[in-house]
Amino acid sequence: MDSALLPKGVKRCSFPQFSIGILIVGAVLLWGVYAMLLCWFKGLNQTGMNDSYGFALWIWADLAVIALGGGAFFTGLLKYIIGKDELKNIINFAVVIGFICYSSALLILAIDVGQPLRSWFIFWHVNVHSMLAEVAFCLSIYFSVLAIEFVPLLLENRKLDEVPFFHNLAHNMHEVMAVFAATGAFLSCFHQGSLGGVAGVLFGRPFAFREHLLVWPWTFFLFTWSAAAYGPCFTILLTKITEGITRKKLVKDNVVDLLAKISGWMIASYMVAKLIDTWYWATVTAPSRGLTFMQFYSDGNGLYTLWIIVAELVVGGILPALILTNKTLRANKSMLLLAVILACIGVCINRWVMVLQVMAHPVLPFEEWFAYMPSWQEVATTILPVAYGVILASLAYRYLPVFPQERELNPVNG
Amino acid sequence: MNKTHNTQKAKKYGMVIDLDKCTGCGACMVACMAENNVPFKKDETNKLDSITWMHLYKLTNGKAFPETEICYLPRPCMHCEGAHGHPPCVSVCPATATDYDHGTGIVSQIYTRCFGCRYCMGACPYHARYFNWWDPVWPEGMKEYLSPNVSPRMRGVVEKCSFCFHRYQLAMDKAYHEGRKELEEHEYQSSCTQACPAGAITFGDLNNPDHQVHKIARPDNEHGGKPSATNVFRLLERLGTNPKVYYMSSREWVRRLGDNYLPHEKTGEIALGKQKGHH
Amino acid sequence: MKLDRRNFLTLGGSLVAGGVVGTTLSPLPWKLMDDSAIWTQNWPWTPVPPDGAASFNHSICTLCPGKCGITVKKVESRAIKIEGRKDFPVNQGGICILGLAGLQLLYGPTRIETPLLKTAGGGFKKISWDEAVSLLAKKLEELRSSGKPESVAALTGSDTGVTAALIKRFLFAYGSPNFISEQTFKDTYKIALKKMQALQGEVVFDIENADYVLSLGSGIIEGWDSPVKMIKANSALKTKKAFLCQVEPRLSMTAAKADKWLPVIPGTETDLVWGILHVILNQALYNKEFVAENTTGIERLSQLAQPYTLEKVSAATGIKSSDILSVATQFAKAAKPIAVCGKGQGSTPESMGHIMAVHALNALMGSVNREGGVIALNPASYISWTNPEQDETGKNGFGKERVDGAGKGNYPDTPFLANRFISAINGQGKSPVEALLVSGSNPLYSFTDTAAVKKAFEKIPFIVSFSSFMDETAKVATLILPSHTNLERFEDVSLCLGSGKSVIGLSTPVVEPKFDTRHTGDAVILLAKKLGGSVANAFSWESFEACLTETLGDKWESLKESGFLENPESLIAAGTRIDFSVVAEPKSMAPEGDAASYPLILIPYDSLRLAHMAVGSPPFLLKTVEDTVLKKNDILVEINPQTASKLNLSEKKYAMLKTPKGAVRVKIHLFEGIMPGVIAMARGLGHTAYDDYLSGKGVNFNELIGPMEDPISGLDVSYGIRATLTNA
Ligand SMILES: Nc1nc2c(c(=O)[nH]1)N[C@H]1C(S)=C(S)[C@@H](COP(=O)(O)OP(=O)(O)OC[C@H]3O[C@@H](n4cnc5c(=O)[nH]c(N)nc54)[C@H](O)[C@@H]3O)O[C@H]1N2
Ligand SMILES: Nc1nc2c(c(=O)[nH]1)N[C@H]1C(S)=C(S)[C@@H](COP(=O)(O)OP(=O)(O)OC[C@H]3O[C@@H](n4cnc5c(=O)[nH]c(N)nc54)[C@H](O)[C@@H]3O)O[C@H]1N2
Ligand code: SF4
Ligand code: SF4
Ligand code: SF4
Ligand code: SF4
Ligand code: SF4
Ligand SMILES: [Mo]
Repeated sequence: MDSALLPKGVKRCSFPQFSIGILIVGAVLLWGVYAMLLCWFKGLNQTGMNDSYGFALWIWADLAVIALGGGAFFTGLLKYIIGKDELKNIINFAVVIGFICYSSALLILAIDVGQPLRSWFIFWHVNVHSMLAEVAFCLSIYFSVLAIEFVPLLLENRKLDEVPFFHNLAHNMHEVMAVFAATGAFLSCFHQGSLGGVAGVLFGRPFAFREHLLVWPWTFFLFTWSAAAYGPCFTILLTKITEGITRKKLVKDNVVDLLAKISGWMIASYMVAKLIDTWYWATVTAPSRGLTFMQFYSDGNGLYTLWIIVAELVVGGILPALILTNKTLRANKSMLLLAVILACIGVCINRWVMVLQVMAHPVLPFEEWFAYMPSWQEVATTILPVAYGVILASLAYRYLPVFPQERELNPVNG
Repeated sequence: MNKTHNTQKAKKYGMVIDLDKCTGCGACMVACMAENNVPFKKDETNKLDSITWMHLYKLTNGKAFPETEICYLPRPCMHCEGAHGHPPCVSVCPATATDYDHGTGIVSQIYTRCFGCRYCMGACPYHARYFNWWDPVWPEGMKEYLSPNVSPRMRGVVEKCSFCFHRYQLAMDKAYHEGRKELEEHEYQSSCTQACPAGAITFGDLNNPDHQVHKIARPDNEHGGKPSATNVFRLLERLGTNPKVYYMSSREWVRRLGDNYLPHEKTGEIALGKQKGHH
Repeated sequence: MKLDRRNFLTLGGSLVAGGVVGTTLSPLPWKLMDDSAIWTQNWPWTPVPPDGAASFNHSICTLCPGKCGITVKKVESRAIKIEGRKDFPVNQGGICILGLAGLQLLYGPTRIETPLLKTAGGGFKKISWDEAVSLLAKKLEELRSSGKPESVAALTGSDTGVTAALIKRFLFAYGSPNFISEQTFKDTYKIALKKMQALQGEVVFDIENADYVLSLGSGIIEGWDSPVKMIKANSALKTKKAFLCQVEPRLSMTAAKADKWLPVIPGTETDLVWGILHVILNQALYNKEFVAENTTGIERLSQLAQPYTLEKVSAATGIKSSDILSVATQFAKAAKPIAVCGKGQGSTPESMGHIMAVHALNALMGSVNREGGVIALNPASYISWTNPEQDETGKNGFGKERVDGAGKGNYPDTPFLANRFISAINGQGKSPVEALLVSGSNPLYSFTDTAAVKKAFEKIPFIVSFSSFMDETAKVATLILPSHTNLERFEDVSLCLGSGKSVIGLSTPVVEPKFDTRHTGDAVILLAKKLGGSVANAFSWESFEACLTETLGDKWESLKESGFLENPESLIAAGTRIDFSVVAEPKSMAPEGDAASYPLILIPYDSLRLAHMAVGSPPFLLKTVEDTVLKKNDILVEINPQTASKLNLSEKKYAMLKTPKGAVRVKIHLFEGIMPGVIAMARGLGHTAYDDYLSGKGVNFNELIGPMEDPISGLDVSYGIRATLTNA
């Protein structure tokens, strides 16, 4: 039915089959949209947030998708700036994922604020001291860059490509893409960093606060670094998932291996920095505020105890770094998959604690740990971008030549 | 906002609350609600979504019967000065909807500009900021008592104690009319101070040696406003928030609960935190 | 160009794209964005209070017996804020939480807007004042012509002031002796003064000027006596470092602020007083000069105190002997010691045995009628009306026995016995009361054993409420004649200050009546006039205001001007010598219930954050109630963790609370500051009337406790009751 739109020389499932899949995910999407409308029209009382948990699930989801979407800028950087040309075989997919993640982040922010119609005050009445202002600026500009990076891929759709103008435009855009990739990488570094800064500048919150380098707290650099390190793992994970669903090999092993190796070393070096940061914070910063390390891990509700730091740093950090930096382990498909999954979990836990544990820890000595339980509306609106992402990625895969090696790896007879 | 007219010396309005006198009666809380058009709901027992600009904490010494002691601690916004007028909450607000007024030391909140991102709430270690999770609703007839001096807030924005700033404005207006630029100590008093039946709250200009607040707290402005009077302390002083609300208590366990202390540290003897949390 | 499907799409697409681009580049989206933001700043459902000329109006708050001076800020005709009046002798600018929230009562949704008549279906129907008064007059006329005017009774919150005097006068002329007023611990102290030194005066405790205060459970900073005045007195104690010893089973705020907290087993407070008397008498630590000059019968006192050895008292009260000894000696050594009683806010009577022992303690130290002691004052006596003429029916009716049996027989000194009034109605057969007027009181909520009160009210055929608010009692009334609220009416106030002065105050209206309400004084005058004859003749005044003007005479103008006047005749009333020999023999007043089936003792606790008498708490007050007192609609009961663990109860979990009077579901709050074996519950919750901000929240303590009669006064002196708590 839609065969004219499909890329040449590849096999796609039947249109009805595809439609049913999309409808199922679409139903989830609608559920999320309903929850979103409730939040907009009835207000944030629809959530489980409260005055002690002003930042909660959404901000975590926001930071998490942006960290995971970091594969886009970092792969772009590696390909266009550093010149790792093999990565051209995965860059398209990285860009699609990045686009999904960033548009999702913007959507989440639009639901998260109490006065969405005034969101633009962040630009109009900007306070240059605010990390959140920095986030808003970088996020929206980088999103435009991603959109631009997405355009050439879009234009490579078989039907669009038939139009000479579009064909040439796509070609010319490819030529200058390095400029956008560079801009994107620069912007992305900043806003990943400023997202880290959001927590690190909170000098009233000893769990989050970090000492500064120039005007930025350490978390600024740690966030950029970790996004660059962990983002590619997410790209690999999604590639593997897509391969699983389509039951096809889409990217050659050497491409994945290269990305995995780089990611492994990045995670390893990030872990060194993160451990130094944690050690300094635990032994110098926190005590200067009258707090001991263990006080941050003594949640009476049981959530924020030592397990979480072990899960973040050992299971989600050191372990994947060891696997990914080791050639043999990396070559083992199951180990590779395990490593990228652990890595994604690790970075998500990091973003979780930097948002939620910050809110949960009682700063006033006479307060108790604060508990929070997201409402279904929050869960639905958090799943909403996932459903949207699945749909967009499916559409992209079906109609665009996302994986340049697909034809070669899966020759179609006749 | 920082309208410091150069003929006037900058003020630094602050409070001292005598915890030995405070009875926990709650009058300050309601004096504030009544003065500032604070809304209310049918169920206010979830204290995490209940707007009380002035909040009363119940402190205990943690000892078992009959050695138990309790002490109430009223908590308005501390109107933190941070370092050079950068309170934890102000520097984070992306839209400049909350600001530090160098002329009065008051941390303002512009409801019509706030877009409800709640970053300032996360930044404030005192839980002094409240979000309007709901539309404010007054039952039939009750809108009658709303004060025109303080605008009711809409859903989706943050609010907090303003040190009754409108009272400052009204007092200044009156002074201007009378050809004065300076206020007498009694001309600008917050609603909670005025109401407190125990006389536990003292309000005034910490920069003015003639004002009671200065006499009681004796702030050392060279060292981040650290009180030099005995038994006077501030909450979480060592974080570098530089609050303008001082407390006093004759009981050491109360003073010790005012800040986080490592086991070996002596009450009141701590270095102030580095005050560079902003950029 | 041929317009085929493809071209059509291209064209359409281009048009849309062009439109989008064009719109984006035009000022329209910016304008829309700006407009939408401005719209959010001016949501029509977020009110904008109108501005206007501001004015400040003095009056007196009459929401509690405290009688603080207030200044109400108005903008045009709207009252927008109540503040404490700075130059008022009671509160000097301070004000309590309830007074501050007064505008929520004035403008609140539970106001009764017009006279209401109960319909057959149980609802109410609006009627005019003329209809309402005629209806009531007709009913009273019927009762009168059938020869039983004494079957009409009136129940009021207080018996002072012109309004109460008008109701009394009405009953006198009409022919009923059944005027009943609620009694507080102060009224019982008055009886003690009368018995011990033949003194008829108001009692004042000059806490502020004492240097050692022994408080037997009085919530000095929790609304006891005149709340703001007492909080100020407490601050004065702190400033001059006077000593406060608080005796009560629970670490109340007063106990928390005290220099010494002595937890005592509920019901054994009197034993402690006798223990202290024992020490003081045995060691002759009393003020010998004062005792010799001003008292008689000290031998009898010593005799009574003899059995109260430290060991015995310690065993009974749970207080260490050494503590009793040190309190007794410190008290005796102080220059101006004072012992005070009246538990919690003092809103309920105390047993005469207890009060007389406390007064004996004060008398032994010479702390009577002196600075820093217990002072008897002449209340301002400006109501000097002569009794009106009674007709035959009136005379007959008025001469009948009181339904409550007060003022004679066993209780010669007790003016009113509200508890006996209820039990008399609940007795065999028909209710002796056929019509009841209720003013300034909400017995269906604030009397103990609510179920019995409810039963009694069901038996009364005709109930008239003068309430301003739809409270529990108004809800069951046959007829409601709504009164103005305190801010809409004149009210005379008589005040006795700790400094030994008495003051007359005038509460003046600060706003026009918001609804079709009338002053209760006016309603009574209208009613009398409607009845005609001698009843009408007893009321020569046109209106309440006219009556008040005439009554206050030359004081009226200056009172209207300044709000208060010092009473020139407020001198300390002289009495006879204090007679220790009338002090009652100590008698156990253990809480109701047997210890075997009810191992715990339940006590109430008061807080200024909840009103528990005639007015319900306005929404602002509920906002200040901690979540360890009320969570959603569940009330929390305080229990010592030690007791809780024995009973397998844990924090915030449900439990069944049972007393001999009733059972309710509660939640548990573990509190180290309560004596093991004792549990405590806040008073002021569990309303079934008023609005959604108050109704249905928590449990009314009075449902769980029954009256316990004091053998001497006959008054209900119940405070604690035995109870069980089990997991639910
Ligand atoms: N941070 C911050 N800055 C602001 C503002 C703000 O809101 N925040 N507001 C801005 C606005 S709107 C304004 S209008 C400006 C006001 O800023 P300025 O114009 O600086 O206002 P003033 O401080 O009133 O200073 C006027 C000076 O004139 C002197 N003066 C008074 N009367 C006379 C006279 O008759 N003759 C002469 N020669 N001198 C006289 C006064 O003593 C004083 O020194 O501030 C602006 N700056
Ligand atoms: N006491 C005193 N009175 C003065 C002066 C003085 O110096 N002292 N100066 C005089 C002079 S020169 C001037 S120009 C006037 C200024 O008089 P105003 O304009 O009344 O005063 P401001 O305090 O500058 O600002 C008014 C309010 O606007 C809020 N606001 C800020 N941004 C926004 C926004 O985006 N939207 C909305 N809706 N509100 C916002 C601020 O929080 C503030 O409460 O005052 C005059 N009167
Ligand atoms: S009004 Fe005064 S005494 Fe009452 S709680 Fe507030 S500060 Fe304490
Ligand atoms: S107390 Fe909180 S809201 Fe107030 S100034 Fe300090 S940080 Fe800001
Ligand atoms: S919630 Fe409002 S005041 Fe707070 S940081 Fe966000 S915009 Fe600023
Ligand atoms: S200073 Fe004013 S705004 Fe702040 S708590 Fe007191 S009454 Fe409320
Ligand atoms: S204590 Fe409170 S309720 Fe009582 S009179 Fe004073 S202000 Fe009114
Ligand atoms: Mo201006």
